[in-house]
Amino acid sequence: MQSLKPFEYVEPATIEEAVSLLSDYADKGKLLAGGVDIMPRLRHRKIKPAFILNIKKIQGLDYIDGNGGDGLRFGALTTIRSIELSPVIRKDYSILYEAAHQLPSHQVKSMGTMVGNLCVGTPASDMATSLLALDAELKIVNTSGEKILPIEDFYIGVGQTVLEPGDMVTEVILPSVMPGTRGSYQHLVRTRADISKVCVAVWITITDGICKQARIALGAVAPTVFRAKKAEALLNGRELDQDVIEAASQAASQETKPITDLRSTAEYRKEAAGILVKRALNKTLERAKA
Amino acid sequence: MGEELTIVGKKVPRWAAFEKATGAARFTVDFKLPEMLAGRLLTSPVAHANILKIDTSRAEKLPGVEAVITFEDVPNKLFNPNKMDMCLFDPSGELPDMYVLSDKARFVGDKIAAVAAINAGVAEEALVLIEVEYEELPAVFDSLEASNPGQPRIHDFAKNNIALTFPCLANRGDVEEGFKEAHVVVEQTFKSSKQHMCQMEPTTCVADFDASGRLTIWSMSQHPFLHRRKLAELFDMPVGMIRWKTLHIGGGWGKYGSFVAEPVCVALAKKAGRPVKLEYSREEDFRTTETREAHIMTGKIGVRKDGTISALQNKVVVQGGAYFTHNSNATNVAMGCFASLYTCPNVYEIADAVYTNIPVSGGCRGYGNPPAMWALEQLMDMAAEKLGMDPLELRLKNTKKVGEFGPANYALETSTFDDCLRLGAEKIGLKEKRGGRREGTKRYGVGMAMFMHVSGSIGATQHRNVHLKFNEDGTVNLAAGCVDLGQNIHGTISQIAAETLGIRYEDIIIHTGDTDTTFFDQGMHASGGLFQIGNATVKGATELKKLLFERAAKMLEAHPEDLDVKDRWISVKGSPDKGVSVADVAKDAIYNYEDDHNHLAAKGSYSPEDNQPPVGASFAEVGVDTESGEVNVIKLVIVCDVGRAINPQTVESQLEGGASQGIGYALTEDYTINPETGYLEADNYITYKIPGAADMPDMEIIQYEKPVSTGPFGAKGVGEAAMVPIAPAIANAVYDAVGVRVTDLPITPEKILKSMEAKREKI
Amino acid sequence: MKKEIAKFTINDRPYELLVESNVTLAELLREQLDLTGTKCACGVGECGSCTVLIDGKPTLSCSTLAIAVREKDILTIESLATREGLHPIQQAFIDHGAIQCGFCTPGMIMMTKALLDENPDPTEQEVKEGIGGNLCRCTGYVKIVDGILAAAESMGKEGGR
Repeated sequence: MQSLKPFEYVEPATIEEAVSLLSDYADKGKLLAGGVDIMPRLRHRKIKPAFILNIKKIQGLDYIDGNGGDGLRFGALTTIRSIELSPVIRKDYSILYEAAHQLPSHQVKSMGTMVGNLCVGTPASDMATSLLALDAELKIVNTSGEKILPIEDFYIGVGQTVLEPGDMVTEVILPSVMPGTRGSYQHLVRTRADISKVCVAVWITITDGICKQARIALGAVAPTVFRAKKAEALLNGRELDQDVIEAASQAASQETKPITDLRSTAEYRKEAAGILVKRALNKTLERAKA
Repeated sequence: MGEELTIVGKKVPRWAAFEKATGAARFTVDFKLPEMLAGRLLTSPVAHANILKIDTSRAEKLPGVEAVITFEDVPNKLFNPNKMDMCLFDPSGELPDMYVLSDKARFVGDKIAAVAAINAGVAEEALVLIEVEYEELPAVFDSLEASNPGQPRIHDFAKNNIALTFPCLANRGDVEEGFKEAHVVVEQTFKSSKQHMCQMEPTTCVADFDASGRLTIWSMSQHPFLHRRKLAELFDMPVGMIRWKTLHIGGGWGKYGSFVAEPVCVALAKKAGRPVKLEYSREEDFRTTETREAHIMTGKIGVRKDGTISALQNKVVVQGGAYFTHNSNATNVAMGCFASLYTCPNVYEIADAVYTNIPVSGGCRGYGNPPAMWALEQLMDMAAEKLGMDPLELRLKNTKKVGEFGPANYALETSTFDDCLRLGAEKIGLKEKRGGRREGTKRYGVGMAMFMHVSGSIGATQHRNVHLKFNEDGTVNLAAGCVDLGQNIHGTISQIAAETLGIRYEDIIIHTGDTDTTFFDQGMHASGGLFQIGNATVKGATELKKLLFERAAKMLEAHPEDLDVKDRWISVKGSPDKGVSVADVAKDAIYNYEDDHNHLAAKGSYSPEDNQPPVGASFAEVGVDTESGEVNVIKLVIVCDVGRAINPQTVESQLEGGASQGIGYALTEDYTINPETGYLEADNYITYKIPGAADMPDMEIIQYEKPVSTGPFGAKGVGEAAMVPIAPAIANAVYDAVGVRVTDLPITPEKILKSMEAKREKI
Repeated sequence: MKKEIAKFTINDRPYELLVESNVTLAELLREQLDLTGTKCACGVGECGSCTVLIDGKPTLSCSTLAIAVREKDILTIESLATREGLHPIQQAFIDHGAIQCGFCTPGMIMMTKALLDENPDPTEQEVKEGIGGNLCRCTGYVKIVDGILAAAESMGKEGGR
C-alpha cells in the first residue's frame, strides 16, 4: 500500500476553533471526520493538504433531533449508520433511509458522516439526491458567522460545492413533512457494492388523489445532483395516472446531461433516468395507496 | 479400493484453517526481515514512448534511499516471465520479449525503475524525484486495428504487431468438406475480456542475499522450482545459489504462473546489499501484473440434419497486450478446448497473437477455456435454434464417449456428460422454465453450457515428488513442493497420505514452501495439483506402508502381505489378537537398541501417465428487465464429474468460488481502458467490480462422482472447472429470456438494451 | 502535531506508542505492533480486509488515522481466541469451510462479530447485507454465509460472548 504523505494534525475542540483554523489554513487545510472519502484521496495523492483538522472531538455534533411534524436536524458528525438506524427518519423521511440503507458497507456507514458524504460533491451521491428531493438545507459556519443554504444551491460542479476555504457545514435541516407525502428512492448499480450509475429520489405530496407538490431529484446524470423541474411541473396539480407518470419520466430523462464513464454510457443513463423516475413514481403511488 | 474409506471422502478441516481464522497465518505481505528495505516501483504514465533519459541522481541523494535501479541495472537479456517454456508442449512458443526494467514504455504501467529505501514513505518520495524524459510515440490499443499496416510498431521484430501466428494442435479433417455436409452453418464473432484475478493479497516479494551471495526469495510463485531456474538463468546464477520460499498466499488463479515482482525485487536487493520487500499497491497490481487473456474469436459451426457436428472453425485474435507472456499456451488451450468438447471430425483453428499498447495478459483460472466456451457454447445454442432442435438435445447428440480424446489428448475412461446434462436440466427445471416467463417488465429464461477441462497439463517436466517419514510417535512428515493458494491441496494430499497409511488426518504434518527441503514439483497450474501430487502421495505413502509392514512383520512374526493397518493399529489378517501400533513400529525403527535401526521414509514420484478431465454442465436461470436491461441471476446449477471428492467440502467450495468468478466475468468485471490514452480506468475494487455476497445467486452444486482408475482414489482436478461454463450459460439464458445475444463480455445492461433496440429496428 | 506519544487499548492491553500523524491504524497494528492478522488488500476502504472494532464499531483500519483513535478501545482478530479456545465465529468459519486463501478472513470475522453483536439472530439476507463491505475472491461467499449463520446459532445457545 502507498503510505500517506506527512501533514500536521490538529483536533479543534469547538466549531469556532475549527473554522478559525480552517480560515487560517485556507486551501492547505482539510477537514477529517469519518475519513472514508478523504483517506483514499490522501493515499492516491489526489489531495496534498498540509493540515488535517479532525473534527471528531468537537462535542455536540452527533445528533438527530426532531421528526416529520416539526422538521428534523442532524449534525456534522451524525453517521450514515445512525441515519439508517433512526426510526424517525425511516418513518418520516423514508427516502433518506432508503438511500442510506442501500450503501453496502457497514464499515463505511459506521465511520462515514452524512455531511462528509454531501461535502464530497459527487453527483452520484445517493444521499445528496434524497436530501435534494427532501428540500434539505445546510447550515454553513465560518469565522464571520453562519448561514442557511438550500442544498439545491450547494453544488456547482463535479466535486465542487459553494464552500469557501474556512467554511464548515455543521448541520442539515429537513423541513417538516406535509401530510400525504410519500416517496421512493431508486438506483442502478453494476454490483450491489458499486457507486450508483443513476439514482433517483422522488418526494410527493398527494391530497385527495391530486399531486400537490412533487420533487424529483436525480443523481449521476449531470455534473451535480439536480431537480427535474419540468417533470415536476407535469405532475403538480394532476392525478398520477400512467400517462402523467410516463410524460414526467420522459421529461426527467430529457433534463439529464449524463456522461459516459466506466460505470455506464451517457445514452444508457439518459434512458435509465426516465425508467427510474417511472419506477419511483409508481412505487410512491403504491405507498400512497397503502 | 473396494474397502471402506475413513478419511478420503470426508469433510475434514482445511489445511491451516486455524492459523487463518486466528490471524496467525503469515502471508508474504506480512513478512519481515531485520534490516529490510521497502521497495517501490516506478511505472510508465504513457502508453508508448522511448525513454530518452532517466536521471536518478536526485532520488539517490534523498536520505534513506539505498538503491535506485533502471534498465541499466538489470540483466541485458530478454525473457518471458511465464514459466511455461520450461514445462510444456510448445517450448518455442512463448517469446522472450521483455526486460526486467525497460528502456521503452509499451503500456501505461510498464516497469521503468524501482527504489529501495528505509521505509515506504521515503521510497515513494524518491520515485517522484526520478526524472524520466519520455518521447511519446503513437500508440494502438485495439487488437484488430493493431495488425493493420501502418500502425505503430510495438516490438521491432513483429511486423504489423503480429507476434506469432499459430494453428491449433488439434486441427484435423477437412473443414471445407465438413461445412458442405452441414445442414446449418452458424458463424459469429465473440469477444472475451481481460478479467483480473483480483487475488486479495497484493503482489509482494522479499529478496535477500546472504553473506555468501546466496539468494533467498519469499514470493507467491505458483512454480517455485521452475521460477527458481528461470531466475537463475536471468541473473546468471547457479540454481543452487537460490532458495525459494513460500508463505501463505492470498489467492492467485494463475497470476503467479509468471514472475510478478521477483526480478525487480532481486535486482533491488542486489544493488542495495540488504533485504528488500517490494510491494505493489492495488492499483499497480491491476495495471502492471497479468490478467486473463482476452480473445476475439470468429467461430463457425456446421451441424448435420441429425444434429451431429460436421465442422468447427475458429479464427482467433489474441489480445495479449504489450508483451507476449502466455499468449501461445493460453491460446493453444483455448483452441484445444474449442476443438475437443464435442465429437467433431473436422476442425480448423488458427490464432494471431497481436501486440497492443495495453497491459499484459497471462493465465487465469480456466486459462483459455472460458473464452473458448464463451464462443462455442453460444454457437451451439445458435445452431440448435437454426436447426429447430432443443439445445439440450443438440448437446446430447455430440457428447464424447468413452475412448474418445479429451483436451490433453488422453482417451476418456468415463463419459458422464449426458448424466451431468440430464441431472442439471432436471434440477434447474429446464423444460418448465425455458421460453421466457413474463412478469411486468421482466422476462425470465434459462440457459446451459457444458465444459471439459483438464487434470493437469502434459509434457516432460510435469513430474511431482513428495517424501514422507515416520516420527517415532506414528505421525508422518509429508514434504512436498506444491503451493497452496487457498485451494487446500495441502489438506487434500494429507488426507490421501493418512488414508493410505491407515493413520489419522491430524497425524500428517505437512511441510512445503521451501526449494531446499522439498523435491522438485512443477507447480500449480492446469488443475493438476490433486491428480498429479495426489498420485505422487499415493505412491510415496504406499511405499512407506510397505516399509512399515516389513518391519511390523518381523515384530509380529508374520508375513508383510498378511498385515492390515487401520486407525494406527497394524493387525494380522486372521489373527485378531496379534497386532502392534504404528507408533511402536515407527519408534522401533528409530530407537532399536539391538542396532537394527532404519528411519522409515519413502519418496513418491509421479509423472503424468494419464489425464482424465473434469466434465460437466452448468445451468443458469435469469431475470432480465426489458426496460433497464438489468440481469438478475436467480439460480445456478453446476453439475461436475469430479471423479472422487477427496474432501467434498473443499471440492464444493472450489466449484462455488469458480462460479462466483464466472458470474463476475459474465456480468460486471470490465477491464476498462481509456481508448484515447490507454490508461486503465478500472484499477481497483472501486472501479472494477467483483461480486459481493449480495450479488450471489442461489447455487446448487452437484458433485457427480465416477472415480477414474488413474486418479488418486479416483479423483480428478476441479480447481478451474466451474469458472469455465458460467458466462455462456448466462448468455444463453439471457437469450432465452429476451431474444438477444450479447457477444462481447461482460453482458451489461447497456449492451442488452442496445441489442434489444437493434432487434426492434430490424423488425 | 506531526508526532505524539499516544495511548491505546488494543486487544485489552494498554499501549503507549509514538505515533506519526500520517500513520494509519492498519500500519500501526501491522508494522509497529506486528499484529499482522489485520490485512490490507486495497488501501481505499473498499474490501473490508482491514476491519477492526473500535469501541465495538466495525472500522476500516486502512482508512483511519492512528492518532485520531488514541484513547480508544481497539479489537483485532488476534483478540478473539482465548486460552479456552477459539471464538465461536472462528470455529464456525473452520467447520463450514468458509476459509480458503484466508486473506479476507480476519476482516470478515471481525465484521461478523460486529454484525452478531448488533443482531444476534440475523436472517440469511441480513448476513449477506451485513458483509456487503467485505470482498472475498475465493469462496463465492456461500460457506461464509453458512458459517456466520452457524456462529449465530451456536452463540445464541451459549448465551452470547
